[in-house]
Amino acid sequence: MTTESATQRPIRGVAGSRTGSTGTPRRAGARRRDNLAGYLFLSPWLIGFVGLTAGPMLISLYLAFTDYNLFSPPTWNGVDNFVRLAGDQKFWGSVRITLLYVFIGTPVKLAAALVVAMLLNRASRATGFFRSAFYAPSLIGASVSIALVWRAMFSTDGPIDSALSSIGIDVGGWVGIPALVLPMMILLAVWQFGAPMVIFLAGLKQVPPELYEAAEMDGAGPFRRFRSVTMPMLSPVLFFNLLLEMVHAFQIFASAYIIGSGTGGPAGATNFYTVYLYTRAFANNQMGYASAMAWVLLIVVGIFAAILFKTSNAWVHYAGDQR
Amino acid sequence: MHTARIRRIGIAAVAALSVFTLAACSNAPAAEYDPDEEITLNFTWWGNEDRASRYQQLMDKFTEQHPNIKIEGTFTDFASYYEKRATEAASGGLPDVMQFIDSYIGQYSENGQLLDLNTMSDYIDFSTFDDLMLSMGRVGDKQLALPGGFNVWSMSSNKALLAEYGLDEYEGGTSWEDYSAYMASVTEATDGALYGGTDYTQRIQDFEVWLRQQGQELYEDGALGFTEDDLREFWQLGAADRDGVTAPQNRLEEVAPQTGVAAKMTATELAWSNAMVNYQAESGSEEFSLIAPPTSDPNAKDLYRQGGNQFAIAATTKHPEAAAMFVDYLVNSADAGAVFGTSTGFPASTSRLAGTKLEGADLKVSQYLDSVADRIGPTPPIQNVPYGALEAVFWDLGKSIGLGAISIDDAVQQFFDEAAVSLD
Repeated sequence: MTTESATQRPIRGVAGSRTGSTGTPRRAGARRRDNLAGYLFLSPWLIGFVGLTAGPMLISLYLAFTDYNLFSPPTWNGVDNFVRLAGDQKFWGSVRITLLYVFIGTPVKLAAALVVAMLLNRASRATGFFRSAFYAPSLIGASVSIALVWRAMFSTDGPIDSALSSIGIDVGGWVGIPALVLPMMILLAVWQFGAPMVIFLAGLKQVPPELYEAAEMDGAGPFRRFRSVTMPMLSPVLFFNLLLEMVHAFQIFASAYIIGSGTGGPAGATNFYTVYLYTRAFANNQMGYASAMAWVLLIVVGIFAAILFKTSNAWVHYAGDQR
Repeated sequence: MHTARIRRIGIAAVAALSVFTLAACSNAPAAEYDPDEEITLNFTWWGNEDRASRYQQLMDKFTEQHPNIKIEGTFTDFASYYEKRATEAASGGLPDVMQFIDSYIGQYSENGQLLDLNTMSDYIDFSTFDDLMLSMGRVGDKQLALPGGFNVWSMSSNKALLAEYGLDEYEGGTSWEDYSAYMASVTEATDGALYGGTDYTQRIQDFEVWLRQQGQELYEDGALGFTEDDLREFWQLGAADRDGVTAPQNRLEEVAPQTGVAAKMTATELAWSNAMVNYQAESGSEEFSLIAPPTSDPNAKDLYRQGGNQFAIAATTKHPEAAAMFVDYLVNSADAGAVFGTSTGFPASTSRLAGTKLEGADLKVSQYLDSVADRIGPTPPIQNVPYGALEAVFWDLGKSIGLGAISIDDAVQQFFDEAAVSLD
C-alpha cells in the first residue's frame, strides 16, 4: 500500500481532476437497489470472509477460553489456558527463538535485498538475468524440497561442513546441533530475499536522478548520497518491506516443520511459535490451548506492527509531503 | 430495469447456492447391503511406498470379488496420520475404513467415533481370532478395531554389517549392563564407524519393558503407573552410554526420521518386531536378526503382543456392511497373508496366517516369537490416555537429554507436568 501512495502522490493532481466529478445525483431508491446488487456481487467474497476468516477467528477466540480436545465438546475454563501458557517452558522457548528469528533474520534479509537491488540498479545488459536469478529462490523457497536440500547441505560431511572443514572450522553438521539450527534457519530466510529485492529495485528506479546530480554537485560522496538521498527516498518502500517481512517471519512454519521432522527438534531448536501451536492443536489435540496461543500471536504481531507504524512518522519520508 | 434484472440474477444465484448447500448437507440413511449398489469406500493408512503397493494389490483383488465396491486409498507417514484423523473426527468426516494403532483406540472410543464391529458380525468372522487378539481392539464390550498383525518388542540387529567388521551379535535376554558393554565393544572395535546402538532410554517402550521387568506398568487406570524416581533412574541408566558409546544424538538428528540402524550408523535398535524387515530394506543389508531385548529379570513377563496394525470403521460411514466386508478381507483373507507376510506385524488371525508364507525375514519373525514365548505376558488393556502424545513427549525429552540441552531432573519434571495436563 505504502509503495503505491509513495509513487502515485506526485500525479495525484492529474488523477484527481479525472475522478473529481461523480456525475448527476441519483434518487435514493435507485441507489439502494444499486447497493443491493453491489452486495450480491460481493457475496462470494463476503461468504468467504465470514465463513473462512471472521467466523473461524471468532470461534477460535471462544475456544481460547475452553478445554477442547476435538472429540468432546469444548468446556469453558476461563483464563486457564493463558495461565498455563505463562508457566510453559516450551512456550517461552518457542517465543525466544521466534523473536530471535524475526529480529535478526528480517534486518539481515532486508539488508541483503537492498544491497543486491542497488547493484542491479546500475544499468547493465545482464540486469534482467541477474534479477531473475536472485528472485528465483523466493519462488521455490517455501517448498518442501528446498527445506530438504537445506537439511542435506548442513548435515555432517555436507557441502557446508566440508567447506568449513577445509578452512579449519570443524563443527560438523549444523542440523543436529541446537545452537546452530537457528543461524541455519535465518540463512534459509535471508537467501530468499528476492521479493523485497524486487520491491526495492522498483523503489530505486523512482528516485529522480536530478537529486543525485544535485547532491554530487554539492560534493556528496557515495555514502553521503546513500544516506541523504537514497534512504529518505526509499523509506516508504523500506517501511513496506519491513512490515511485510516481519509479519511473514513471525509465521515461519513449513521450513521449520520439515527441517525439524515435525517434532520441533533438535531440543526445541525448530520449535518456532507456529510449529508449537500446530503441535498443540493437531498432535496433542489441545485445541483450546492452541487457540489461546494463536490469539497471543495475533496480539503480539499487532503490537509490533503498531510500534512500526508509530515510529514511521519519524523516519518514513513521503516525497511531496510538507514536513 | 437494468438494476432490477441484476437483482433477479443475484437472487437466483443465492437461491441456487442454498440449494447446493442443502443438497450437500442431506444424509441418506444407511441401507442394507445391496450387492448391486455402486459403493465407494475411503480407506486410509500410514506407511511407505512399499506398503502402499501391497495395499493396492489387496484393494484390486477385493474389487475383483466385489465389482460394485470401489476403494479409494490414501496414505501418509505415521507422524501426520493422527493429526489428520483428529481434524476429520472433529468435523465428522473420518474415512470409512482406517488402519489403526492400539494406542489411539481409547481416545477415539470417546464419543463413539468408531463403529462397534460386533454389530457387523454377519460380515466379519471373529472365530479366527483368539480372545487375546480380540482384546487388542476391545474397549468394554465393544470391538472397535481388529488386528491384522501384532508385534512384540525386540532388538533388530544388522548381522551382515557386524560380520563385515568380524563382530558377533548381542546374545539377547541378558542384563541391561551386558547390553551396554556389548554396545561399547562394537563402538570401540570399529572406532566409531559403527556404533553399538542408540540410547535405548529415549523410547517409552523400553521404559515400559523395564517397568514390567519390575512388576510395574506404564499406565494404570488411566494414570501413570510409575513415579518420578522411576523415570529418573531409567534415564540415568543411559548416561554412561551417551558418553561415546551410543550414536551421538546430533548425528541421529541428521538422518531422522530414519533410525540409526536403518542409516547403517548403528548395529542394533530396540523396536517392534515388524520393524526389522523395514530396517533391512532401508539399510540394504543382506541379513538382519531379531534378538530378545535385555532384561533385569529373565523370569518376568515383560513383553506383550501389541496390536499395532488394526483396522477400524468410522461410526459415520454410510456403508457399514461394505466396510465390514473389506475389514474382514484385510484381517482374515489368505490374500492379505500372502501379500503382507509379516511386514505389518505377525498375522493375528488363523486364516490370514494360513495364507502367509513363512520364509526369509518372515520366518525369522516367527522364530523370534517362539523364542521369547516365555517372556510374553498380558497385553495392557486399552486406556483412555493420549498415549501417542505422551510417547512423543518422552521421545523428545530423551533426545534433548542426548543433545545435552536439558538435565535429567528438568526432563523428568517436564514429563510429569505434561502428563498432568494430558491425563487431567
